[in-house]
Amino acid sequence: MLWENWRLTRLEAANRLALGIVGGLAVLVSFRAVAPNDSARDVGATITLCLMIFMTFPLWLSISKLKGGRFLDGYRPGFTLSLLYTRPVRTAVLVGVPMAYLAALAGAVYLVSALVLRWTFGYPFPLLPVAALIAAAHLGQSAGDWSTRSKVVQWLGTMAPVIALGSLARYRWEGWPELFDFSLADYALIAAMGLVSFGVAVAGVARQRRGDAKVATPWTAASAGFPERLVALFRFPCPTSSPTRAQVWFDLKSSGLPVLALGVALAIVIPLLFVITTRLDVVLSGFGARPATRGVAAVVAVLSLPAVLILLGGNAFGIRARQGRTYASAFEATQACGTARMAGLKVLVRSVCLVAALLAVGTSVWTSASVIPFDVLEDDDTLIEKSRAPISGWMRAIEGGVGAMSTNELLALAFVTVIVVAVFVAWRAAHAALRARYPRRLNIAGSVLFLHGFVLVLMALADRRELALDTLADALFGATQWLAAAAIVLATVYLFWRSLAERLLTPRQACGAILVSAAFGVAWVTVLRAAGVQLAAMPTADAAWMLSPMLLTLMASVLAPWSLGRIRHT
Amino acid sequence: MEQTVVDVNGLSRSFGSKSALEGASFHAAAGQIYGLVGANGAGKTTLLKHLLGLLRAQSGSVRVFGLDPVRDPVGVLSRVGYLSEERELPEWMRVDELMRYTQAFHKTWDASYARELLETFGLDPAKKVKELSKGMRAQAGLLVAVAHRPELLILDEPSSGLDAVVRRDILDAIVRTVADDGRTVIFSSHLLDEVERMSDHVTLMHHGRVTLSGPLDDVRRGYQRSRVRFNEHFDQPPVLETALAMEGGGRTWSVVHSGSLEQFQHSVLALGGAVVESRDATLEEIFLARAGRSRQQVETV
Repeated sequence: MLWENWRLTRLEAANRLALGIVGGLAVLVSFRAVAPNDSARDVGATITLCLMIFMTFPLWLSISKLKGGRFLDGYRPGFTLSLLYTRPVRTAVLVGVPMAYLAALAGAVYLVSALVLRWTFGYPFPLLPVAALIAAAHLGQSAGDWSTRSKVVQWLGTMAPVIALGSLARYRWEGWPELFDFSLADYALIAAMGLVSFGVAVAGVARQRRGDAKVATPWTAASAGFPERLVALFRFPCPTSSPTRAQVWFDLKSSGLPVLALGVALAIVIPLLFVITTRLDVVLSGFGARPATRGVAAVVAVLSLPAVLILLGGNAFGIRARQGRTYASAFEATQACGTARMAGLKVLVRSVCLVAALLAVGTSVWTSASVIPFDVLEDDDTLIEKSRAPISGWMRAIEGGVGAMSTNELLALAFVTVIVVAVFVAWRAAHAALRARYPRRLNIAGSVLFLHGFVLVLMALADRRELALDTLADALFGATQWLAAAAIVLATVYLFWRSLAERLLTPRQACGAILVSAAFGVAWVTVLRAAGVQLAAMPTADAAWMLSPMLLTLMASVLAPWSLGRIRHT
Repeated sequence: MEQTVVDVNGLSRSFGSKSALEGASFHAAAGQIYGLVGANGAGKTTLLKHLLGLLRAQSGSVRVFGLDPVRDPVGVLSRVGYLSEERELPEWMRVDELMRYTQAFHKTWDASYARELLETFGLDPAKKVKELSKGMRAQAGLLVAVAHRPELLILDEPSSGLDAVVRRDILDAIVRTVADDGRTVIFSSHLLDEVERMSDHVTLMHHGRVTLSGPLDDVRRGYQRSRVRFNEHFDQPPVLETALAMEGGGRTWSVVHSGSLEQFQHSVLALGGAVVESRDATLEEIFLARAGRSRQQVETV
């Protein structure tokens, strides 16, 4: 059994170990290069420590995969190694061996990373206390994950040990470089938590093995990772008058409307959260406690927009994952619909619904932050002050910026926003398709290249706004920016050529993509002007960088059908 | 002259280091039923997926209705009905939604035929695909594959999940109706009696190669199963010129062989034996004999 576990996890363990060491080295080197004093360098060491700890979580994905891959697609909660039930082995052994193995492996990964960085940089990264915490957290998480077939209990159960152990560490916190050390009693407490976790896991798995536990059916995603119940929320007949309308209906039902529904639900939750936490803070302040729950609402509000964009903007092509295998639906792939049209409709439907969801959430955050008073309580509460400062600051900035814009500029801004969301959706859809189709290394290289280009654009923008940039980052991107620019241009040209040669794109569709990119370019320039950017006064290279998002739009408009073509016709 | 619907030449495909198709060639004419047989992993599904454009040809060519299914998916798929082996249908769809969605892509959709099939299969249009049993799901898949009266119907293991009644009465009837209308059916199956019952042509695949292909009657006529008695005792199967498979021992052997019976009799006589009885081989006997020998060259009867 140990050998089985080793076979399953060895690659992931090696990855985590390498990422912890390399990532830690990168952080430490960066801080050494740019940090002005020792205390700033200690911040780098603290980040490195967090990184090394983070690398051992969340659980072991290679083991979790045995349950069916992602949480929303074919995922079957319960004991991961249920195929071993038929072996003549006691449940305690069946559970104990992998639990102990995972805990020991996680602790070992941290210890090796910490020892390497201690040796190379001389920072006194704590060894035994952190390793003990990591091991205990893994025991607790395994228990929470394996002992139940209820997804809610499972999620809460995996969070509980991390919170408990984190609280213990916080309680013993003494600051860098000592961090924390545990007494024998603390170690005894950690060991007791491990034992309880083991007992809970064995009891839960024994019930599942006997067949007493509720049978869990795989949570099969209807499409693109949305639960079937959410897809069934909207009922309207499929039009039969044209393939395009039918495909729009399909994408709306399976991908667009669930996104909109989730956005609207979040938009309703945010003001409710503000109301509830405000009342709660009032009640808590009556008991002399620090009123801090409204800070949680503010954090949720601040994070809601990027969360909606990132979490709901992915996998517009509905690439499926099951038992570690990713693939496109053969049902859709065999419909008599052109690949470019199919890709365009999927991206369009998802983007429109995502924009609507973002609008709903944005309006909700804005209204909540404007209408609900922040000053009910004493202003000396730092957490509330901290949480409200960004929101009110951003609101003032947005009000000021938008208020100064003409109608044309506002229209241009709206167009740019919609296209940026569409490009984001197209890119993520293409990424999911290519990840399913090509080896991981190729995908990582492509993603790094794209991110690199994206960061260069951001840097150009930051430069215009005279934001200070780290010397190291400046040097790194400065040296490679022309390489990245050439790669992006060549990739766009290549994709256009291949798409036309393979008849993925018709000349009409290609012209449409160019026209949209040109319109985006005009709108982009208008927005830049409104923001006070004077392209004419810039050096040519800087101006070219400022206009590069136009190329990204063009690239996305051809990358989406090309990538769908690659997964549709493998 | 027969109209060629499918034209596959020298098709090769590998997945990583595993070769799934090696120079396979396959041709189908209008109004005929083609049965693909072969062991698991022989390359049947891979060949069918190439016809649908789900896989690109690594070498060789694939033409369906004279079109490349990868470069012109709309031109090909609008004339094709397909039932996949996995019966992959969107689980959230209801049966009536599935029908309406498929109808939108096919101008030739025959609503009355679809209703007729719905009643024949006893499918509840308000039921979700998710709630259907494996057999009912296969029936729903079959319904949307044939209701637009496609010029080419591709069925990948159509019997899988169907009970004996549906398999024998309904599937056979549907397939025969399609062929009688002058349209083409290509289906893969590992049930040799089904292939023997339904097809006009049979294609045997083995290790990614087409090892035998031709009209069913010609194939069956080209192989016999003979019982042979020798004067002397053989511990190992004796070497006979046209023999494909032999079983038995000592003086009496059962032999599946190709070619003419006279030729076989001569080779038996040369070893001091005689053919006791002979009959046409069944498709299963031919399949087992051919698959067992793993012949490399393509043979067309």
